[in-house]
Amino acid sequence: MKSFLLNIFLSSFRNLAFSQKSGRLSLLLALILLFAALSLFVGAAKLTLLEVLQTLTLSGGVSQEFDFIVNQYRLPRLFLAIGVGAGLGLSGALVQGVIRNPLASPDLMGISTGAGLAATSLLLFFPQAPLFYLPLAALSGGILAALMVMGAAYYSQPTPARMALIGIAISAFLASCIDFLMVVKPLEINTAMVWLTGSLWGRNWQEVPYIYVSLLLIVPFAFYLAWRLDVMGLGPESAISLGVSVNRMQLLALMTAVVLASISVSICGTISFVGLLAPHLARLLFSHQHKWLLPAAALIGALLVLLSDILARGLQPPVELPAGVLTSLIGAPYFIFLLYRYKGW
Amino acid sequence: MITTGDEKQRLSLRYKRFRVFSLIVLKQAKWLSIIALFVLGFVVSMLSFSSFDLSLNDLLRLLVSFNPDSLAQQILYSLRLPRSLGAMLIGANLAVAGVLMQGLTRNILASPSILGITSGAACFMALSSIGFVILASLNSVLVAALGGVVGGGLVMVLGGFFSHSAHPLRLILAGIAMSALLVGITRASVILADDMAYSVIAWLAGSVSTLDWHHFSQLAFFSLPALLLAFYIAGKMNLLALGEEMATGLGLNIKQVRWFACISIIFLTASSVAIAGPIAFVGLLIPHIARKIVGFEHGVLIPCSALLGASLLLWADALSRVIAFPMETPVGVITALIGSPCFILLALRSKLS
Repeated sequence: MKSFLLNIFLSSFRNLAFSQKSGRLSLLLALILLFAALSLFVGAAKLTLLEVLQTLTLSGGVSQEFDFIVNQYRLPRLFLAIGVGAGLGLSGALVQGVIRNPLASPDLMGISTGAGLAATSLLLFFPQAPLFYLPLAALSGGILAALMVMGAAYYSQPTPARMALIGIAISAFLASCIDFLMVVKPLEINTAMVWLTGSLWGRNWQEVPYIYVSLLLIVPFAFYLAWRLDVMGLGPESAISLGVSVNRMQLLALMTAVVLASISVSICGTISFVGLLAPHLARLLFSHQHKWLLPAAALIGALLVLLSDILARGLQPPVELPAGVLTSLIGAPYFIFLLYRYKGW
Repeated sequence: MITTGDEKQRLSLRYKRFRVFSLIVLKQAKWLSIIALFVLGFVVSMLSFSSFDLSLNDLLRLLVSFNPDSLAQQILYSLRLPRSLGAMLIGANLAVAGVLMQGLTRNILASPSILGITSGAACFMALSSIGFVILASLNSVLVAALGGVVGGGLVMVLGGFFSHSAHPLRLILAGIAMSALLVGITRASVILADDMAYSVIAWLAGSVSTLDWHHFSQLAFFSLPALLLAFYIAGKMNLLALGEEMATGLGLNIKQVRWFACISIIFLTASSVAIAGPIAFVGLLIPHIARKIVGFEHGVLIPCSALLGASLLLWADALSRVIAFPMETPVGVITALIGSPCFILLALRSKLS
């Protein structure tokens, strides 16, 4: 009995070791928890461990100020960073899985900027609209942009690299529309910062349910898609003979990706390159099975956004950088590296 | 009445003269309309949408005999004239830089803003404005030129311009990624230095609204020689377009032409960015339009692009005042709105070189 327990203990320990896939996944989870805890301490106001713990558990004479800083400001931000990052990472993994294109990602396909444009227009033209209109507007914008890119792709039958170029061109057009709206109808500076570069500045509990509800609905569905995406990687003929209806699966997976990316964008603007970077890192760690790839991409995306949000707040405290700037500092060099290695021109 | 042979000859001569004249007119119609567009743009950008009443009469008087006591003429002279001339020069600079880059890389998507030169220049400008080590003590155009060299050079190396096997698309995608990186650094450095990020956003969009004579003289000092250099190498660019072997066979010093073109591109772009901020898509859009109108010969293409680029910026400047009158809209936002659909069309085209 004793040896049996020891065995279980040891094997669970071995699972945690870095060589096993589930071990790596739990390591990622642990890292996220670690940085999440860390992010409660980072910012302009310095809090001690005891103060944070007391405020979190609401025990023993919590001061109003600490309650605001931790419970109303840093905690929702932390949850949003994780949720948004997971959404973007998962969306990127789905897009790359469907299009079989290493250069594809929600921001390189115009989805992010389309959603951003729709959300910005809603905020500018109907400032009184209730909050739940925002994800809906972003969603319709994302879908429209994706349709534009897909239509262009259908029309010109591009190679993967040209597909990326078309997506970038359409994004550039949509981004110039956002710029135009921002300049013509100036909002407050922080809103502009959120929509132009992506930031979690000034977000609160109100936004948390949107991203988590959609993640809750979509993650099981992503697992449903996982082995079908693997099969589709064998080529359309083999996939059909193995009983997967390719066209329908492609449509479903793309729609899922668009929904996730749009809702993430509706919360924190366009945080660029996460949807490109996360699936690639996941593939490095977990190879090609989507069963592992999808959750890993989500976790890595969450980790990326969480880290960049911590850095954005902590580099020079009262000043706040947009998180999207930091992700582009990591993502753009990686994109160039991908181009360097990419052979399928 | 019988017309004598002499008279007949005279009539037919007159007819011939008329035909020759009309042919010349028709042949030059393109040029005439381009020049008309340009002059009209100049007048509109000088006079329209001001908080004061400005009339054509004032403009003519200003050009013929300047009277410093008249308020309207004073406004035209000290506010509008440097602004319009500056916009003109910046448009011409960017368009000519675009022609040279497309000729040099033989890539239809090449342009200063896509290959990282503009964003490199903007990034170094931002770094120097927050007091970065050596940059802060240099002239702003030189800082921008340095940034353009760094940005453009990195894109050329990473995009595989120097290796013969690389696909032309790689250069473009590398340029776009490098621009994203440089814009990120620019935004981060400026926000860290000063949290008035909104003015930065306006500067990053590119604006000519604050141009004065001092700015204009600086712009002209650097960009006129670069424009002259571009005209000087126009004929050689034609040979370069035939391909390396052919050009060498025809006795062209390829290295020298490339160096001249690079120097010209860098100074044309850097002086514009230093004065007005990064104005996107002019260098991409104009050369294509000019090529449609006057064909591929660089000796004609370069002046035509310069005129078209200047008119584009003049009209965009006038438009930028209309949109949110009496507020000013950055002119770069307008050119981006006009230019990015053109980028989409070019991206959709099947051939890339």
